[in-house]
Amino acid sequence: MTFHRLPTGGTLIDRSRALSFTFDGKRFSGFAGDTLASALLANGVMLFGRSFKYHRPRGTFAAGSEEPNALVTLVRNGFREPNLKATLVEIFDGLEAESQNRFPSLNYDLGAVNRLAGRLFSSGFYYKTFMGPFRNTKIWMFCERFIRKAAGLGKAGLIPDPDRYERMNAFCDVLVVGAGAAGLKAAQTAAKSGLDVILADENPHAGGALNYASGEINGQAIWAFTASVIEQLGALPNLRILTRTHVWGFYDGNTLAAVERVADHKAERSPGEPRQRHWVIRAKHAILAAGASERPIVFPGNDVPGVMLSDALVEYAQKFAVVPKGPVALFANNDTAFAAALDLSRLGVTVSAIVDVRRDISDFAKFLAGRSGAELIAGQAIVGTEGGKALKSISVRPFDAASGEVSGTARIIACETLGVSGGWSPAIQLASQAGGRPKWDARLQAFLPPEPMPGFSFHAAGAANGAGDLTQAFSEGHSVAAFIAKGLGKKAAKPSPVKIDLDSADIAPAPVLEIASSDSKQKAFVDLQADVTADDLRQAAQEGFAASEHAKRYTTWGMATDQGRTSNLPGLAVLAKAQGISIPEAGLTKFRPPASGVAIGAIAAERFGDLRPYRLTPMHDWHLKNGATMYAAGLWERPMIYGKPGETVEQAYVREAKAVRESVGIADVSTLGKIDIQGPDAAEFLDRVYTNMFSNVPVNKARYGLMLREDGFVMDDGTTWRLGETKFLMTTTTANAGKVMQHLEYFLDCLWPELRVHVTSVTDQGAGAAVSGPNARKVLEACVTGTDVDAVTLPFMGIARGSVAGHPVLICRLSFSGELAYEVYSGAGHGQKVWNELLEAGQPYEIAPYGLEALGTLRIEKGHVTGAEIDGRTTAQDLHLGWMISKKKPFMGSAMMGREGLMKEGRLTLTGVQSLSGEAISGGSHIVLSSDPKAPGASLGHVTAACYSPALGRHIALALVADGNVMIGRRAFAADPLRGRHVPVELVSHHMFDPEGRRMYV
Amino acid sequence: MSDRATPLGDALVPGLYGNLAAALGVTLSETFFDCVSELTAFDGQEPALAATLAKAHGKVKASFSFQVAKSRWLAAGPNEFRDLILRQAAPDKWSHIDLTHGRAALRVSGPKAEWVLSKLFAVDFREAAFPARSGVATMHHDILAQIHRSDAQSFDIFVYRSFARAFWDTLCRAAEEVGYEAA
Repeated sequence: MTFHRLPTGGTLIDRSRALSFTFDGKRFSGFAGDTLASALLANGVMLFGRSFKYHRPRGTFAAGSEEPNALVTLVRNGFREPNLKATLVEIFDGLEAESQNRFPSLNYDLGAVNRLAGRLFSSGFYYKTFMGPFRNTKIWMFCERFIRKAAGLGKAGLIPDPDRYERMNAFCDVLVVGAGAAGLKAAQTAAKSGLDVILADENPHAGGALNYASGEINGQAIWAFTASVIEQLGALPNLRILTRTHVWGFYDGNTLAAVERVADHKAERSPGEPRQRHWVIRAKHAILAAGASERPIVFPGNDVPGVMLSDALVEYAQKFAVVPKGPVALFANNDTAFAAALDLSRLGVTVSAIVDVRRDISDFAKFLAGRSGAELIAGQAIVGTEGGKALKSISVRPFDAASGEVSGTARIIACETLGVSGGWSPAIQLASQAGGRPKWDARLQAFLPPEPMPGFSFHAAGAANGAGDLTQAFSEGHSVAAFIAKGLGKKAAKPSPVKIDLDSADIAPAPVLEIASSDSKQKAFVDLQADVTADDLRQAAQEGFAASEHAKRYTTWGMATDQGRTSNLPGLAVLAKAQGISIPEAGLTKFRPPASGVAIGAIAAERFGDLRPYRLTPMHDWHLKNGATMYAAGLWERPMIYGKPGETVEQAYVREAKAVRESVGIADVSTLGKIDIQGPDAAEFLDRVYTNMFSNVPVNKARYGLMLREDGFVMDDGTTWRLGETKFLMTTTTANAGKVMQHLEYFLDCLWPELRVHVTSVTDQGAGAAVSGPNARKVLEACVTGTDVDAVTLPFMGIARGSVAGHPVLICRLSFSGELAYEVYSGAGHGQKVWNELLEAGQPYEIAPYGLEALGTLRIEKGHVTGAEIDGRTTAQDLHLGWMISKKKPFMGSAMMGREGLMKEGRLTLTGVQSLSGEAISGGSHIVLSSDPKAPGASLGHVTAACYSPALGRHIALALVADGNVMIGRRAFAADPLRGRHVPVELVSHHMFDPEGRRMYV
Repeated sequence: MSDRATPLGDALVPGLYGNLAAALGVTLSETFFDCVSELTAFDGQEPALAATLAKAHGKVKASFSFQVAKSRWLAAGPNEFRDLILRQAAPDKWSHIDLTHGRAALRVSGPKAEWVLSKLFAVDFREAAFPARSGVATMHHDILAQIHRSDAQSFDIFVYRSFARAFWDTLCRAAEEVGYEAA
């Protein structure tokens, strides 16, 4: 059998624009407006792919997002996107599509051998065959690789997704999902009532089924009437129409997620144009009007290419002028297939027979059958098909709808296409996500949308709400929109009158969704995409997986890209019958997002590549121009070293650290956290936050402070400067700036709201330069104006205000390096100029910029702690900072710091480590006593930071060592088995250089 | 022109970029306000601070402020505005902190400004919800953004200075689709 394109017609194709594309490397042509499915059908292609497990030949089954079979892979510039529905892919010039799950070709697929072992591949096959019997072996691991190659759908490529995606946030009064009859009417009423409206539809054109309905509205063909309505709506300023947009998730706060296929249908993309746009729509109300999907009747041999949904046949015929060449039969349990028969016959298609499971057929259906010229075969059912890659005939036997039994002898009816209609399932996916249990409608044999859960607001309308004809759809669309408008205080627009001239058939079906023929050897597929048969579901029920949610997971029924749109209800009918219960008792599985497939790229949107934004200091460009190798410290970009040609990292930092010890160096410390603290109770606040006193710090003096967490462990350290009676500047480590700020805000908001204190992050306000070394004062003397910087005016921990290069600076004399040192802060926008001036002033002393590595070296020599030691598990005593704990006042953490576990002997304590062999000590090494690298024994602690010390002329480290205080003077080993290092070391005081601090107090 | 260095450095190269097939969507630029301040009222003093700000805006038309958190306002304008505010300082009622160097103001203006910003922020930018001379504090992932609408088609986005270049890159990318001028 085959299809062809009619010489005229097609409501959605543009015959003036021929397009060329390939499928499995073969070139085809189509028209603008064609989907890949319609274009392939028009070219006579019926075989679209191979099935999931059995590699059975499959054609297209539907015409929209419910399609289970026709999945293809698109290839664009080498990037492969698998599992796309050919029924939704729009063709463009140059489109490359490939069929899936076949080897070596679609026509001759070696995987089809699976069909011979078909009975083996029943429910739970993998568990029963490979896992259960071979438990605790690697059999499954071995077999899995072959099974995964043999089964499955499309394969993703290996190159990264090159496409661009974007996110869009939108707000509206009403989001209307689905632009069919009810959706258009709802959007029209809502917009004309003055509401902000978004109308979203997954198809390229609004209109839904109106685009292929026969009949007239207001004297116009329905599709033409629809086009004019859409044009009018497009002109409304408060209505945004989003086509090619499927709404896939319904979340709290009435937030709906949707993906717009912005450029999937274009051969070329404009600069900056995303391939897809992910919409996050916050709607006061949603109107769910996504229509209904026709569902099949399950019968033996129902997966042969040529077996399709009857409505799909009409859709292809009317929208794309693509119709079957040979005779068509229809199989139904309701009247809508009769209307389809008439539509097809009007287009010249031969409809040879309509097989209906019902004995009593309505007069109207009989009338339609008569008009179509089809033979009406009532009270019978299809019990088998003939055909491999294409349908040749069907077998029909008498059927008793009440008992579900077939009887009598089979009649063979030749046909090349079979349209099946088992009734209609409203699109309740979104409603299910945001609602309670769907409501069962016995007349329609379908689940209707549930009531919204608290916090959600949606209304269903049209076919999605079970409406059976256009009049009802228009009416519901208008009434829900009018109801919402009134609720929002608007005067609802009156409906524009419509006169509908259309033969509407009753959609209510007979309760028959499976034809079980015990003497048939053909498989009866419930879920075409997952290759799940009615027997699979019966077996699942028999083995204890009878509940629908269990059966779904045991068999994979209802999963994957179609989310069971055509299989849910037939599957439930099988499960219900197997248990002797009703369909609503069997219960519909819960729909969860996404309602249909979403590219991961669309969700990630603009978050691509390195996911982190970066933070730059005011001197960043200078660092780069002067040879800095940058290092990502959190989000900050910081200089690691300023390497000279040919220098290693170690050579560079040793040179830089040496310069600081011998003359003067300058480091960018803009990244240190800075928090402005002010208010009448600022000093009291700091007394509560820090372990030591701050209320007695004089104005223009700074003090080193230690902060504990509530549980008594050290949280952070830093200096806080008193700039006024009620104004302080707290500095924190770079890494903990955000955390400390959050803590302070928490204290003020929740613990001590009575304190009149404000905290504000001012990290970015200041550019900071640390000028360190014996010549530091001389450098400042050469460039600072407005203040003296001598030891009297600016003593240790003193603060002065002056100017550099004409810009105001705040100078604090403090030292992280252990040298005479100053931190010079200016406005960030002046930072580079001040930095330049300091460099200029330092030229006579060969001032050297130094980076994080040298900074680390200097502090290791001095035994100063950073985040490596303040690791959330150390106490003030562990770090030899017990002297900072005030006994005169309570403070955050004071209640918990004295716990037994925090005071006991044997805790890891900060200790200095010096290499005895001249070998480098690795960070992370364990301190052990054994000299045997192969039997290092128990770990006494670990190295937190290590370097080569130019001042001491050896490799040194800081470590946290059990009972570190009493271990000083002991010899041990720094064991690093991963790097094969076992370095003999001596444990020493953490103050390894200038322990009296003479150099910084000069 | 401010004597402050731009945090954007070489990232801002004046010119036209992105999709220029249709009319230019937006212009991206950096705005230098003489002063940017944050003012925070102590409990119960919010009306007093709001009144002080309103009075100052009445006298200095080029200034503006908007609430960025409970009791907290971001204000910007010419030096005259800051001087006026500081003259009325009431440390027992509200605090003032100068953030002129600490914030970068990136301006997005043009017919597609709402569209571009909607890509980045979960904020209702429709004029009815976000009228001119109002503002909002929000986040773009890790970046705090305080956004002020100066007119129907212009927004100033205040970000931490250190994030300015990263966010400029983000803005440029978001604006490519509609075509933009970097100015």
